[in-house]
Amino acid sequence: MLSFVVRRCATGLLMLVALSLLIFILLRLAPGDPIDAYINPSVPMSVSDLETLRDRLGLDQPLPLQYFGWLHAALSGDFGYSIQRSGVRVLPLVMERIGPTALLMGMGLAIAIVVGVAAGIYSAVRRNAWPDIAMSVLSFIGISSPAFLTALLGLYFFSVLLRWAPSGGMQTAGAPFSVTDVLAHLILPACLLSIGHAALIMRYMRASLLEVLNQDYVRTARAKGVPEFWVVIKHATRNALLPVITLIGSTVGIAIGGAIFLESVFNWPGMGLLLVNAVGTRDYPVIMGATLVIGACVILVNILTDLAYAFVDPRIRVA
Amino acid sequence: MRVKTIAIAAALLLGAGLPTIVQAQSPKTIAGGFDVGPGGFPKNFNPLVATGGFTWLSTYFEPLVIWNAGLTELEGDLAKNYTVSDDQLTYTFKLVKETWHDGKPFTSKDVKFTLELAKNKASGSLLAARLGDIASVDAPDDSTVIVKLSKPNGSFLSILSQVLILPEHALAGMPPESLATSTWWSTNPVGTGPFKFKKYVTDQYVELAADDDYRGGKPKVDVLINRYFENPAAAVAALRAGEIQFTYVETDDAASLKSDANFKVIEGGSYVVNYIGLNQKVDLFKDIKVRQAIMYAIDRNAIIESLYGGAAKPANCGYVAPHFVPEGLEAYAYDPAKAKALLAEAGWNKINGDKPITLLTYYSSPQAANVMAAIQSMLAQVGINVVPRVVDTPTYNGIVYKAGTPDWNEFAMVYAGLQNGPNPAGINPGLNKSQIPPAGFNTMRIEFDDLSAAFDKALGETDASKLDAAWQDVCKVMNKDLPWATLWVANRYGVASNKLKDFIWTPAPGGGPYAAHPETWDIQ
Amino acid sequence: MMAVAAIDPPAARSTKGPLRRALDRFIENRAARAGLFIVIPVLVAVMTYHWWWPYAPNAIDLKAMNKGPSATHWLGSDGVGRDVFARLLQGGRISLLVAVSSVAISIVIGFLVGAIASFGGRVVDATAMRLVDLAMTLPPVIFLLVLASIAGTGIAPTILVISLLSWPILSRMVRARLLELRERDFVVAARGMGAGLSHLLFRHGLPNCIDILVVYATLQIANAILLEAGLSFLGLGIAPPEASWGNMLNLARSTVVLEQYPWQWMFPGAALVFTVLAINFIGDGLRDAFDPRSDLN
Repeated sequence: MLSFVVRRCATGLLMLVALSLLIFILLRLAPGDPIDAYINPSVPMSVSDLETLRDRLGLDQPLPLQYFGWLHAALSGDFGYSIQRSGVRVLPLVMERIGPTALLMGMGLAIAIVVGVAAGIYSAVRRNAWPDIAMSVLSFIGISSPAFLTALLGLYFFSVLLRWAPSGGMQTAGAPFSVTDVLAHLILPACLLSIGHAALIMRYMRASLLEVLNQDYVRTARAKGVPEFWVVIKHATRNALLPVITLIGSTVGIAIGGAIFLESVFNWPGMGLLLVNAVGTRDYPVIMGATLVIGACVILVNILTDLAYAFVDPRIRVA
Repeated sequence: MRVKTIAIAAALLLGAGLPTIVQAQSPKTIAGGFDVGPGGFPKNFNPLVATGGFTWLSTYFEPLVIWNAGLTELEGDLAKNYTVSDDQLTYTFKLVKETWHDGKPFTSKDVKFTLELAKNKASGSLLAARLGDIASVDAPDDSTVIVKLSKPNGSFLSILSQVLILPEHALAGMPPESLATSTWWSTNPVGTGPFKFKKYVTDQYVELAADDDYRGGKPKVDVLINRYFENPAAAVAALRAGEIQFTYVETDDAASLKSDANFKVIEGGSYVVNYIGLNQKVDLFKDIKVRQAIMYAIDRNAIIESLYGGAAKPANCGYVAPHFVPEGLEAYAYDPAKAKALLAEAGWNKINGDKPITLLTYYSSPQAANVMAAIQSMLAQVGINVVPRVVDTPTYNGIVYKAGTPDWNEFAMVYAGLQNGPNPAGINPGLNKSQIPPAGFNTMRIEFDDLSAAFDKALGETDASKLDAAWQDVCKVMNKDLPWATLWVANRYGVASNKLKDFIWTPAPGGGPYAAHPETWDIQ
Repeated sequence: MMAVAAIDPPAARSTKGPLRRALDRFIENRAARAGLFIVIPVLVAVMTYHWWWPYAPNAIDLKAMNKGPSATHWLGSDGVGRDVFARLLQGGRISLLVAVSSVAISIVIGFLVGAIASFGGRVVDATAMRLVDLAMTLPPVIFLLVLASIAGTGIAPTILVISLLSWPILSRMVRARLLELRERDFVVAARGMGAGLSHLLFRHGLPNCIDILVVYATLQIANAILLEAGLSFLGLGIAPPEASWGNMLNLARSTVVLEQYPWQWMFPGAALVFTVLAINFIGDGLRDAFDPRSDLN
């Protein structure tokens, strides 16, 4: 077990370095650099005006030098300064954004898991009855809808029309920090985020449970007179959860960078929004720093999922 | 067990109730999207590198002179009055009495320091080139500043309106090179304006508190908040949800909010002339007949009526202000038949035929997309096949400013805008052959000798009575030679809640700055 | 000579081959049938509309802007007077074109990488899989944004971006299937007889992966349609005036359009959701059809 974890961490680190190189190359291929992002094309400015600014930011050095300079600093934990935001260091900025993203993801996934698993069990048990069919249709629509459309519609109905929820941001501007304030801002985007995931989890849970309910040991339990409720909850569900766990694991991986539409519509200060803005303004240090942090999280989650797998099913030996 | 439950319940209730208690005593606050729209420059707090966002910056920093709210003339701000010598080389400013937000007195030392800093390229200042004519700055006493120029510059005062005065005592100790990346701007900047910086929640909003001893009087509201939004639509959503009281809005939103009794729509000229730039390095547009054909082919009035709701003035040269537009200009009225004839005369089929031409732009609003579609359709009708390409700002700048020899075909035509007022010299950098990159901004590489001569004459004109005529000459040449296919100057809109009183806002290019008097803004 | 009573050979039982049985299972699946009923008319409509619909998708008409559904414009008109129905169908054409092309490319890449990894030996396998892991670790969002900034907007760049995002998963599935196949007798025999890599891949590997590829392709087409919509929402992807379901939906960002001109975004939205739904049904149906054990459920 330990050697497995160590090996995976080592490969993980190597992959992060490769990732940073890949992103660096891709970024430099994109037209326009951070200074180009500064210029307002309707305001006259000359190229020579900006050369000094470029010098200040080290953008005139040859590319390999820029990369290795960055790598050297990064290895000692210094990810540099954000170009767009004067004087803000990248690592604290990125870490500051993980919290809100984790909060949104966490809440969204929690809602999705609870709703998805419960709905999945219910559908499997009441198979082919009208609640099952209704929930199947709803879940299909949930999977097939683009995330940003549900976000826009949700924002319009619940915020602009009904004024049940705030229209964006994580806290009320100008108000002192309070947990209820954050929760009030969190609830709408988290619910909208959970729609797609809940639908997927419900389908997997239903299919998996149906397959398990056909197994011999379930039939045996029933024959022994165990009440149906316990058959389903205690025996079947535990085994049916396996594929669902894998699904949740891979969902988390996607989710870390994936709340981008919701964060964009709701101006939620998370990683997704940070990245969109950073790419839009070619803020190289922020993009590199954020990508690495996200990459590290994804690798970590993959390792943890494999460990969870082994924990739930002792037959699985992690290779 | 019972007691424990009651205790927990009580704690929860108290926790939920506390925010309400705090809010009941909350200070008078105005919140708005001040950096929404083309005049804004969100998340930037350094006035030396600002190309916009001056509306917000001027609530806590102030310049020496400032435009009035109608953008018709410059008035004194930190300079209580000023005199200009007859040879237009010496400007003498008398300063007001004011204190910085940290209590230190404002003196001429600060003005001298700021001007020299702004002139110094090492600080990363984007004003350095424009302030290049300053020969010396003297501060003979605490309330007088004398600026000597090396040659007359009619635009000097309007350039000064964008130089926001900075505290010498706070910044002199920092090496200029470090200012561009300093945290001072976003953590504890010190200014002279009616509001002082309180806090910045990264990427979300900026909060200012009233400066009680401001010379214009104690501000009527206690807190001013500037919220950042991803795009104007999100700001409008927040406005309608009651979370902010003001924002810039696009034309379509303005039209729909006009009928809403809770809001007031503020309309103003944008001072930006929209045009189709024709790259002079590609062979397509060398023949004037082709350029004329483009003007005749586009039905500007129809676009203005339908897509701008009539709120735009057609431009037949770079200006629409009556005192810069002479009589007898060619109106280039919509005439597709004439356009086709001109193209045939010029031999368009041999020059290009129907090969696609890229029409590049950085305008990404839905309205701009519609305008591009209309232009594409109208040009297609006369046989010019343009393909609109919308890119983001860094990509656009990366293409047109590329060092060495850019790929001219990537920006054969552009749909762009350039500030043409309040100072008419604003369009010089885009049209004068002395301003070809890297020296300047003439990205379309326009090298028309008579146009450049007309600009140079107007810029160097020292006799104020001859100024208008000089700019009219520029207009005449632009109308005849068509370096650009000039389109229109549109209005821009802001929407304010009816709860706001004495709120002044105008869609000035770059946000101004203009005398908005934030200390008089009030909210019910 | 003894006359032996002629015994008829037992009547040959008509057994259906596995492909035929799969087809039967597919047809019996109600959801899959419903999916076909939706997708086929949509396909026909988007391919042929220029023959029977009078309006062109890019024909502006400044006098008929933002009009609601009427006898002339069945689904109304948009902000420059273009007919929404025409744009809907053209948008469908573009969105489906982008989806199908990107899936085709990612299938080719995914199959080749997975196949070479499985048949190529330990070192090749390890490198290929590390490459795949790298591609999967990269947060798709950044990859999308950066690639799209480099490649710009338009059909070709969008196809490129989407295809580069989706091949890693397929390569993993192909590799797993082919690893299992590699140990089978007929493959060992073929290798023993000196079969080259391309023979193994295309004569033995490909036919045995068809079911994975078909199911993946179908579900990925649905995914690609959603991805293209998302890209257009972020201002990348297909840019106006070209029509695509994604950039038509982008209009809903403005509360004005959302409230007052709902026909401009509701129809593309519904079209997108139903098409993706239908393709998901078909994909699921195919997956169940190819799995012989699904009969037991």
